[in-house]
Amino acid sequence: MREGKKVSVEVSSKKNSNNEKNKKNQTKNNNNNNDNNKNNETKKKESQNLVKKTNKSGRSVQSQNEASLKSEEVEQQQLSATDSDSDYQDFSEDDVSENESLTQSEDGESESSGDEVHGTGDDMNNDNDDGPADQSDGSQSQRGVEESDSSEDEVAPRNTIGDVPLEWYKDEKHIGYDIAGKKITKKERQDKLASFLASVDDSKNWRKIYDEYNDEEVELTKEETRIIRRLLKGKAPHADYDPYADYVDWFKYEDSLHPLSNAPEPKRRFIPSKWESKKVLQYVRAIRKGLIKFDEPKEEEPRFYLLWGDDSSTAEKANRLSYIPAPKSKLPGHEESYNPSLEYIPTQEEVNSYQLMYEEDRPKFIPKRFTSFRSIPSYENAVKDSFERCMDLYLCPRVRKKRINIDPETLRPKLPSRKDLKPYPATCYLEYIGHKGAVMSISTEASGQWIASGSTDGTVRIWEVESGRCLRVWEIGESVQCVAWNPSPEHPVLAVSAGQDVIILNTGFGNEEEQKRVEELLQVENPTAPDDSDNMASIVSWLQDERLGGIRLRHFKTVTSVEWHRRGDYLSTVMPADILFSVYLIFIVFVYSFLFMVESPTFRAIVMHQLSKKLSHRIPFKLHGLPVSSVFHPTRSIFFVSTKKNIRVYDLLKQKLIKKLETGLREVSSIAIHPAGDNVIVGSREGKLCWFDMDLSSKPYRILKCHPKDITNVAFHRSYPLFASCSDDCTAYVFHGMVYSDLNQNPLIVPLEILRGHTSSNGRGVMDCKFHPRQPWLFTAGADSTIKLYCH
Amino acid sequence: MEFNIDGPKQDEDTLRRVQVRFVTKLKAPLKVPNTSIAIPSNLTRFGLSSVVNNLLQSVNPEWKSEPFDFLINGELVRMSLEQFLLAKGISAEKVLEIEYIKAVVPQKEEEPCLHDDWVSAVDGSSPGFILTGSYDSLGRVWKAAGLCTHILEGHSGAVSSISFLKSDGMKNVTVATASKDQTLRLWKLDVEELISNPKKIRAYKILCGHKASVQSIAAHASGDMICSGSWDCTLNLWRTNESGGEGDQVSTKKRKVNNQANESQLEGEAVSTLVGHTQCVSSVVWPQHETIYSASWDHSVRRWDVETGKDVSDIFCGKVLNCIDVGGEGSALIAAGGSDPILRIWDPRTSAPVFQFASHSSWISACKWHDNSWFHLISASYDGKVMLWDLRTAWPLAVIDSHKDKVLCADWWRSDSVISGGVDSKLCISSGISTQ
Repeated sequence: MREGKKVSVEVSSKKNSNNEKNKKNQTKNNNNNNDNNKNNETKKKESQNLVKKTNKSGRSVQSQNEASLKSEEVEQQQLSATDSDSDYQDFSEDDVSENESLTQSEDGESESSGDEVHGTGDDMNNDNDDGPADQSDGSQSQRGVEESDSSEDEVAPRNTIGDVPLEWYKDEKHIGYDIAGKKITKKERQDKLASFLASVDDSKNWRKIYDEYNDEEVELTKEETRIIRRLLKGKAPHADYDPYADYVDWFKYEDSLHPLSNAPEPKRRFIPSKWESKKVLQYVRAIRKGLIKFDEPKEEEPRFYLLWGDDSSTAEKANRLSYIPAPKSKLPGHEESYNPSLEYIPTQEEVNSYQLMYEEDRPKFIPKRFTSFRSIPSYENAVKDSFERCMDLYLCPRVRKKRINIDPETLRPKLPSRKDLKPYPATCYLEYIGHKGAVMSISTEASGQWIASGSTDGTVRIWEVESGRCLRVWEIGESVQCVAWNPSPEHPVLAVSAGQDVIILNTGFGNEEEQKRVEELLQVENPTAPDDSDNMASIVSWLQDERLGGIRLRHFKTVTSVEWHRRGDYLSTVMPADILFSVYLIFIVFVYSFLFMVESPTFRAIVMHQLSKKLSHRIPFKLHGLPVSSVFHPTRSIFFVSTKKNIRVYDLLKQKLIKKLETGLREVSSIAIHPAGDNVIVGSREGKLCWFDMDLSSKPYRILKCHPKDITNVAFHRSYPLFASCSDDCTAYVFHGMVYSDLNQNPLIVPLEILRGHTSSNGRGVMDCKFHPRQPWLFTAGADSTIKLYCH
Repeated sequence: MEFNIDGPKQDEDTLRRVQVRFVTKLKAPLKVPNTSIAIPSNLTRFGLSSVVNNLLQSVNPEWKSEPFDFLINGELVRMSLEQFLLAKGISAEKVLEIEYIKAVVPQKEEEPCLHDDWVSAVDGSSPGFILTGSYDSLGRVWKAAGLCTHILEGHSGAVSSISFLKSDGMKNVTVATASKDQTLRLWKLDVEELISNPKKIRAYKILCGHKASVQSIAAHASGDMICSGSWDCTLNLWRTNESGGEGDQVSTKKRKVNNQANESQLEGEAVSTLVGHTQCVSSVVWPQHETIYSASWDHSVRRWDVETGKDVSDIFCGKVLNCIDVGGEGSALIAAGGSDPILRIWDPRTSAPVFQFASHSSWISACKWHDNSWFHLISASYDGKVMLWDLRTAWPLAVIDSHKDKVLCADWWRSDSVISGGVDSKLCISSGISTQ
């Protein structure tokens, strides 16, 4: 061993000049490899201990040394030859060996390779370094020298191909090149069987590892395997290293005995502060004056807030202008390409067919083919266009639309289905044909067997409802404005207004006794009997009409409407002449004693008549505005007069105005009272229908805008919850109008049906509508001279 | 045995064929051999009829073709055989039994009987003559078409209903009329006597008591009693016999009021009044001894027990009713029509109508069951049509369109004719309807 070491020292010294020799030495020393390794390990231990001791002092020197290694190779050699330097030389060597052990642990893949790395590392970097190290080792301790010697031997003939895939040399004869650039030839490989047999024989076989890179077998030392085992367990590689050494505390924390200043407490510490007392006084005053209030608890800022909450709400709170991005336009598709594929291009027929489509349905863009981008017509202006587009996007004022999300269905009132509200008139089955002019008015007999109609052709006709047969015709001679059956079944008489006359006709129905009674009633003993007041006579004169078999009441103005009281006791007629008009009540069997003579010029127009005595009287109410129509309350002694704007409700017993219903309409045309008497419907010339609930308000409960033209008449059904309006637009509307006896429940109004069928004549449509008294049927009188019956 | 029916020659493969056997209840000359034959499934009634006629001709060479109607499972075939089988879900695999009957259609339109005014009432219950009532307040007796023998004079309002009561042979015929002048009148006439000019007859009895127009009368089977319905919402029962002590007394009392000419006339008062309807009683029928049916504008059909004068049951319809008749199987079905174009037929045991015929387009003014057939009835409507119905199909068998305006009344006459009167003042007679 010693010899070997010595030799190596010598060799290494020589080697500095000649590297080739090193290789040879190595091959020579290969035999000693094992021993060398052992020595090497022991040396490392020692050197490690050394490291710890010389750590502080040696570091800088070593690094210096290393840095200058390559440049001052020769020098170092010389230096290393001396013992004095051996200390740090040893350290440097040791450092390398440490590195080696680290690389071993890192490698993990093979213990032998680690060894190799160590070797190669020496090869690559510290070729020259080894020499002095070995020498120093040698000088320090025999073993160390030996060890370094062996390592040097190993190192010399190493492969220098670097980190390249070994497959590159797979097919070559050599495995690489040594430091001198000579090929290292592959060793002859043992055949598998032989190698296996060899390995079986060899007890140390488990330690042997084949190094592909250098094409040799390496045997791990015991020390090396021990290190590997420790590393596998996750411990420090060397057993003598304690990772958990005790902490050494260098400082002491003891209280100092004496304070910095020893001055006595100053006086001011014991005197109350003037400034504080001032401040307190100030507060006390403020509290007394009420400037400071304790009642109000301070609004506490929320201590916690949603860190990741949505910022949008706070942004809105800030009331700053928030950025509204421009709406995104649809991305262009293939068809908008300048050169779309053929299937996108419409044929000429298709283009033509676009012309036939509606403006909205027509496609905005028709794909076209261009040979190049430049040939697109808009190419010229492309820059300008895109600039303008950008300007638009930038400058366009945008407002975020706040859309209230309401389902329109929920807004619609929940009305019952039409089917549930049957029966109501819907289909016209019967027509009453015979009049030559527009039928102005119709009236149903109380039982519903007959209807009467008056027409502009000057005739009044009575029809049989069930068959459409015209039973009687009276030639009045003047255009008939209004007809009205007496509602009382005992008096089958008909009131007809034509021009300035109101004629009371005997219909001839009823049995003989009734006929006799009626004939007696319609006898005027004193044809020109005036009322006891003088001016009455000038208004109305009572005449016997022999030709028609009735009474003719000659008025001084044109009479437009006739209305009977429910008992058939009296009727009202309306003469909407300039300012003067009259409402006459004709009393036949007069039960209420409301004969009043109020002598005043303004009341001149209001007159009432007592037919049994053939007398006329005024009604003592002052009217404001032109009267249009008048109706009696169906059950009580209340009288409704409609002027053009308002409805006035009078109590006939107390002789005073009860109520004034403000319609808000431009011109009232007709009025009808619900059979219960608390609800009124009013039709207007602008096509609006107002429903008044008199218990509710003097304003309309509902305004139904249904007709495009004048409403000519409105009607309630006597028993069914139906009402209807007819208009000059040739239609009649039928509504369900349920009035509940419960005062808390508002009337229910449901439009049911539009009845068509009449034709327009001279701009007039349906002139009148009346319900059948017992059936849910509606009669309509048209300006086309027909009367139609709509049945359920 | 196959038949090729004349018509467009279709591809034979596409035609489905059905095995059928024709059966009938008709008498010998109309019977066809009882063998099953294959016929194309697209045959309609006309095709089937010609098949049967061909079959008959093969048996009897002198056979004249005649229209037939065909029943499958008791329903009349009203579309092509294929559609019918599909609609009814009948399998075409089996041999199909098709019953054929003579088609019920009017063969001939007789000369209309012209009136002076609207014909509002007609009665054909006596085979010898037709009774009509008119809006000119006259009743008329017609022997055959266009031959008016008697004029019943005396009413002051339109005759709304006329009814044959009884006859002793043809000599002594009693007739009742109801009028809108609120009275009923009874007439006696001798139909046998031959006269060139219509003979004017006066009523022998006037029945007063209604307070409004009398709409309808119905006679008891014996002819001794009549029932009337009126606009005063009541039904009155009257006796028709001439001698009644009470009646005479009343007549003497009333005579002062009446005109001198009425001196010979008796007056009668109602035996009893049936109260219950709330509106006009538009139609009455008296099919059985103690049962009266009435239809009213209050939307109900009521059955009255004559003995007690109470209404036993009522059927609610929902529409105004204008006419009613009782007939059908076991005289148990009630047919009624009114203010809508639907003719409804009730079984009195159920509240809902069992049949609804809706081919009319306006109010139905009259409906009448056939006397002998259970299945046939006619209806007249304001749309100017008289329709002939068979219960076994929802389509009308025939539509008689001879009127130009509303038809107000219709009836069967001699079991094979339909007579109808209307606003065009004509009484139309369609004859040649054989219902077996």
